[in-house]
Amino acid sequence: IGLPTNSAQECQNLEVERQRRLERIKQKQSQLQELILQQIAFKNLVQRNRQTEQQANRPPPPNSIIHLPFIIVNTSKKTVIDCSISNDKFEYLFNFDSMFEIHDDIEVLKRMGMACGLEVGKCSPEDLKVARSLVPKALEPYVIEMAKGPISNVYISGGSSAN
Amino acid sequence: RIDGALVARHKELQREVCDLTEAEEQLDQLVSKCNLQLRLLTEDPQNKKLGYVRCQDLRRSFDSPDQLVMVIRAPPETQMQVSEPSEGYQVSLKSTRGPIDVFLCPEDNSGVC
Repeated sequence: IGLPTNSAQECQNLEVERQRRLERIKQKQSQLQELILQQIAFKNLVQRNRQTEQQANRPPPPNSIIHLPFIIVNTSKKTVIDCSISNDKFEYLFNFDSMFEIHDDIEVLKRMGMACGLEVGKCSPEDLKVARSLVPKALEPYVIEMAKGPISNVYISGGSSAN
Repeated sequence: RIDGALVARHKELQREVCDLTEAEEQLDQLVSKCNLQLRLLTEDPQNKKLGYVRCQDLRRSFDSPDQLVMVIRAPPETQMQVSEPSEGYQVSLKSTRGPIDVFLCPEDNSGVC
């Protein structure tokens, strides 16, 4: 009686399944974290701009601002850039003679401190308070966890944890 | 001989996989909620108007006197292709929905792009 003969095999299968799920959860967690960061950064930005406009009593001149979404390409000033553009401006081709970097607008917002330092897990109590106020209740546990530092282990909200 | 430890291990694993399944489902729900929230947030007309950075923000974010900062604003679904570094440093942009805007962030303190 008792175990089927393939029980050891089944254990192994379960082990593989468990590992696979853990990997997937990890991936989805970083996806969720990024979405939370974006939400916080965007809300912060909008708040800041609203305040500035109210203080100045007028919107900033249109040629001094860049609306989201955008992408940044930066390179050394010494880099020679060769650029071809189609007549309708639908197509561009850039050739750089040296290295360049590409950043999205969220990266810029992070550098501006709009993500409250959560992106690197460096968050003052003040920052954390602001960050928490900018997300729905269900996401607060994640924000608190992110404030503690980069999450390396799988973190499951609601108490049960798996490693 | 049948191994009691193996039975226990089997049970334990089954429970863990079950817990993980549940955790993953929760996570899926949160991710899709979050996606939706973000979309509503960024598509709100009032927020859209206020969703901008100043040129000086950009300059400060890439704070190096040595850096040239190029801004690209393109319609949704524009494709960006970057060549393999071994084949040179090349970027191509292809839009189907409208013209692409490219300009340099100014270095002076005029604050104007």
